[in-house]
Amino acid sequence: MTAHDDLDRQLNDFLRDGPTELPYESFDAVRDRTEQTGQWVVIGPWRIPDMNKIVTIGLGAAVVVVAIFIGAQLFGSPSGGFGSQPTPSPDPTATPAQSVAEPSSSVAAGLPEGPHLLSEATDGGVPITVTIAAPAWEGDPGIGFLQWNEGADPPDGAGMIAFQSREYYVYGDPCHWPTTRPDTPATTVDELVDALANQASREASAPEDITVDGNTGKKIILDMADDVDIDACDEPEYPLFGVPGDDLARYSQGSGQIEELWIVDVDGLIVVLDGLYYTDTPQNAVDEVRAILASATFDGP
Amino acid sequence: MYAALVDQAKRGDREAFDSLARLTGDRCMAIAFRILRDFDLADDAVQSALLTAWRELRALRDPERFEPWLHRILTNACYAEARRRRRWSEGIRLLSVEPVHGTDDYATVDNRDQLERAFRRLTVQQRAVLVFHHYLGLPLPEVAVRIGIPVGTVKSRMHHAKRALRASLDAEARTPPTSQERMA
Repeated sequence: MTAHDDLDRQLNDFLRDGPTELPYESFDAVRDRTEQTGQWVVIGPWRIPDMNKIVTIGLGAAVVVVAIFIGAQLFGSPSGGFGSQPTPSPDPTATPAQSVAEPSSSVAAGLPEGPHLLSEATDGGVPITVTIAAPAWEGDPGIGFLQWNEGADPPDGAGMIAFQSREYYVYGDPCHWPTTRPDTPATTVDELVDALANQASREASAPEDITVDGNTGKKIILDMADDVDIDACDEPEYPLFGVPGDDLARYSQGSGQIEELWIVDVDGLIVVLDGLYYTDTPQNAVDEVRAILASATFDGP
Repeated sequence: MYAALVDQAKRGDREAFDSLARLTGDRCMAIAFRILRDFDLADDAVQSALLTAWRELRALRDPERFEPWLHRILTNACYAEARRRRRWSEGIRLLSVEPVHGTDDYATVDNRDQLERAFRRLTVQQRAVLVFHHYLGLPLPEVAVRIGIPVGTVKSRMHHAKRALRASLDAEARTPPTSQERMA
C-alpha cells in the first residue's frame, strides 16, 4: 500500500466518525423560523425580447433592490468595525515593568504570571519563552500562542503568536495570494519587513529598529484595509505570509485587525513575534501585548 | 428525488419544506460537523442553511438539483460560522523551521487524535473539499458543483490539504505533543 493510499484510507476512516443526525429541536427551530419568514420573490423572466425599455428599467431597479436585500441577508455586517481609527503609535521603549497595566477584577483564571515556553525548538529552531507580567492571559503556549482573557477575536480582543523560519513568502496582494506569491522568499529581516511594508491592501507603519533578547530586528505595524471583502478574494483567505510547507502560515481573521510584528534575526533564523489587536482593543491590553513581545527570549527556560 | 416536495415548497407550502428539511437535515448535519469539527457550530450552520434555502427556494430552477443546491448553501453557511466564531487558536499552525517533505512516517500513525489535530489545522475551505470527496464519495467535478468553485480550485485545495496533513502528521511523529498541547 502506498503512502498516498494510506492517507486516503485514514481520511475515509476519520471522516466516518461523528454525528449524523440533526437534533429534533433544530428541525423544530427551522420550522418555527420559516413560519416567520417569507420567501423571496424571484423577479423574472430575466430576458424578454419584446420588453419595452421602461419595463426593463423597472425590473432592473427591482433586481438591484433584491440583490442588496439578499446581500444584506447573506453576508450581514461584519462582526467588528473595520480599522478606520488611527493605528496606535509603536512604543519601542516599552518594557514589561513599564507598560503592563493592573489586571482587571474580572480576570478569569488563566496562565500564571511568569515565564512560559511559547514554542519549543523544532529542527534547527530555537525555543521561544515569553513572560506574562499579569494573570490576564490564557491560551496554549505549548503550541505557540497566547490570547488575552477577553479573547482574541474582533472587535476588541488581543493575542500573540510566534513564527520561526528561514524563509517567508510575503504575498504581493493578500486578496490575490495564489497568484502573487514571490518567486524567491525573504530570507533576512530587512527583506521581510520591506515585503510586508509594500504588501497591497494593508497600511504599514514606518519600520523601527528594535532589540529583543540581544537580537536586532525591526518592528512594523500592519493595519488591514477597511474595504476588504475576504469572501471576494481568491480562495477566501487573506494571508500575510507563507512559509515552506504552509502557504497560509499567518492570515488575517477579521475586520479591524492590526498586526504588530516584531521581527528579529536569531543567528540567521528569522523570528516573527506577532501581536494581534483591533481598533477597539483597550489600550491596556495593547500595552500588555507589547510587553509580552518585548519579553521574548530564545535560549529556553 | 425531492422534486415534488420542492415544487410544493416553491409555492410556499411550509409543510412540504419541513418534510424536505427532515429528509436532508441529517445529511447536512453530518457534512457540517465534519467541516467545522464542532457540534454546535454545525447545528447553527445547518439551521442557517435551511432557512436560506427556504427564502431562496424560488430561485432554484431544477427541482432535481435541490440537494446539491442545498449543499452549496450549507458550505457557505459553514464558512460563515467558521469566520464569525473562529477562535484565535484556529489561526495557529505549528511551524517547522525547515521545509517538511512527505515521508512514509505518517503511514504508521494510527492515533486518531493526531489526525484530528492535523485536520483542524486545515482551512475550512480545504476541509470542505476533503469532506465532500472522502466522506460523501463525490468525484471532484461534482465536489466543484457542490461547493461552487472551479474543478481546478478543488484539485488545488485537495493537493494543499493533503500536503498540509502529511506535514502535520510528520511533525507530530517527530515531536510528540506536550502535555500542554490540546486540540484547537
